[in-house]
Amino acid sequence: MNEMSISRRDAVKAASIAAIMLAAGGTVVALPGRGQAAEATSGTARQYGFLMDTANCVNCGNCATACRNYNDIPEGTAGRRKVVAYEPKKGERAYVSTSCMHCEDPSCETVCPAGAISKGEGGVVTVDKKRCIGCKYCHQACPYGVPHYDEEGMDKCDCCLGSGVKLGDTPHCVDACHYDALHYGPVDDLVAAYGDRAKRIAGPTQPSAWLA
Amino acid sequence: MIEFQTVWGWQPALYLFLGGMGAGALVFAGILTLIDRKRNNTIICIAQWSAAACMAVGLLLLLSELTNPMRGVMAWESFVNPASWMTWGAWGVLAAIAIAVIAALCTMRTTAAGIAALCKGFKGARPTICKVLAIISILLGLFVAVYTGILLMSAPGIPFWDTPLLPLLFAVSGLDTGAALVEIIALVVRKRERMTDRCAELLEKAIIGMVVVEAIVLAAFLLTAAGEGAAGEAAAASVAAITAGSLAPWFWCLVVLCGLAAPLAASLLAMRAKKGSDTGIIVLSGALGALIGGCALRFLVVMAGAHADLVADTVMSILL
Repeated sequence: MNEMSISRRDAVKAASIAAIMLAAGGTVVALPGRGQAAEATSGTARQYGFLMDTANCVNCGNCATACRNYNDIPEGTAGRRKVVAYEPKKGERAYVSTSCMHCEDPSCETVCPAGAISKGEGGVVTVDKKRCIGCKYCHQACPYGVPHYDEEGMDKCDCCLGSGVKLGDTPHCVDACHYDALHYGPVDDLVAAYGDRAKRIAGPTQPSAWLA
Repeated sequence: MIEFQTVWGWQPALYLFLGGMGAGALVFAGILTLIDRKRNNTIICIAQWSAAACMAVGLLLLLSELTNPMRGVMAWESFVNPASWMTWGAWGVLAAIAIAVIAALCTMRTTAAGIAALCKGFKGARPTICKVLAIISILLGLFVAVYTGILLMSAPGIPFWDTPLLPLLFAVSGLDTGAALVEIIALVVRKRERMTDRCAELLEKAIIGMVVVEAIVLAAFLLTAAGEGAAGEAAAASVAAITAGSLAPWFWCLVVLCGLAAPLAASLLAMRAKKGSDTGIIVLSGALGALIGGCALRFLVVMAGAHADLVADTVMSILL
C-alpha cells in the first residue's frame, strides 16, 4: 500500500513536470516568426503568380481599370493594381504593372494579429475582411506596401477569386491586357516559358511575381 | 524618390511612447518596492497608477486608429495569431495594466486596509504579496518596453526599422522616461513623503547610466542603417531625414538636447549638489526634458519609416 502511494505521488510529480515542460516548449514553438513559410505552401500543389513582360507594356492602364471594374473598387480610392513608370536610362522608359505578389512567405500573414490573412489554394494570399481589425500592421510588414484600407478593412488583390474567377482561370487584369504584357498562371510554367529573361522581383518574402 | 510612410500617424507613435514610459514606471515602482516599500509608499502607489493609466491611454489610442475599433475591442477574437508580435504585445500590455492595478491596490494604504478587512490572511502576507507583485511588474514592464521596439522591428517592409537595435533603443528610452516620470511624481508629493536618499540616488545613477547607453544605441542605430540596393537606400533616406533633413530640427533640439543632454546634466548637477540644498527645479527640468525627448524619438522613428522600392531594383537588373 505504502509502495503504491509513493509511486502514485511520483507519477503525479512526473506528470506535473511533463506538463510544465510541454507548456514551456509550446510557448517557445509558438513564439512569433517561426515555421510560417513551411506551413504556408504545404498542401498546395502549385504556386500561382504573375509575370510582367516590361518590353510589351504601353502603359494603357487597362489592367488597373479592369481590376477596379470587376472588383467594385470605386475611382478615387486606392486600387489593387497600379502601373508605375521607371526610367532606367535617360530617355528610356519602362512600365511595370504590379499588385499583391502572393509571396511564398507572406509577412502580412505573419504579422496579422487577427489571423485575417491566409495563404490558400494555389498559394493565393487572401484577406478575410470580417476578421480584419484594420491595424495596418500588414502594410508596414509588406516589402511592397501593397495592403491598403477601406471602411471594411484591408483590401488587396486576390487573383479575382472574390469576383468569381476560379483558381486557374485568368484574372480580369490579365484578360484586359491586349499587349501580351501581363501573364498569370503556375509560376513554374511562367518562368519556364521565359527562361533566363524572367527575374523574380527582389525581396525577402519570395514574391510570386517575375519581371521580364 | 523615397516616400515616407503615412499609414501610421500620431496615435501609434504616442502609443509607443506611453507604453514605454508606463512600462518603465512600472519597473521602477517594482524596484522601489523591493528596496523600501514602506518609506516610499505614496510614490510607488502613484507610479503604479500612472503606469496603468499611460498604458491604458496608449491602448485606447491604438484602438482609435483601427479601421474597425469595435472588432479590436474583442481582443479574444482579434489578437489570436501567435506568430504576430502585436498579439503578444496587446496581451502583454493588458497583463501589465492588470498587474499595475493589483499592485497599486495592495500598496495603497486605504485599499490595502479594505482588502485586509475582506481577506483575513492579507495583512500578514502583504509584504510578501507586494514583493511578488513587484517582481512580476519588473518582468512585465521590461517585456512591454522591449516589445514597443519589436513591434516596429518585426515589420520587414520598412528597412529603417529592421534592426534589433530598435527594441534596445526603445527599451532603454522607455526605462529612462519611466524613471523620469517617477522623479516627477516624487517631486510633486515631496511635502507629504520624501523619497529615501538611497532610492533617490539609485534613480539619479540609473538615469545617468540609461542616458549614456541610449546615446550610444541611438548613434549605432542611425550609423548602421545602410545596406545594399533599394532597402539600404530607403534606410539611408530615413536617417538623412532625421539627422539632416526635414525632421532634423526636431531631432537635434528635442531628442538630443532635451532628451539626452538635459537629463544627463540635471542628474550630474543633482548628484553634485550639497546635501540639503534644493535640487527640485534641476531634477524637474531634467525629467521633463527626458519625457519630451522620449516622445519626440517615437514620433521621428515612426514618421521616418519608408518602404524600399524593390521593384525598381528588379527593373534595373533586367534593363541595364
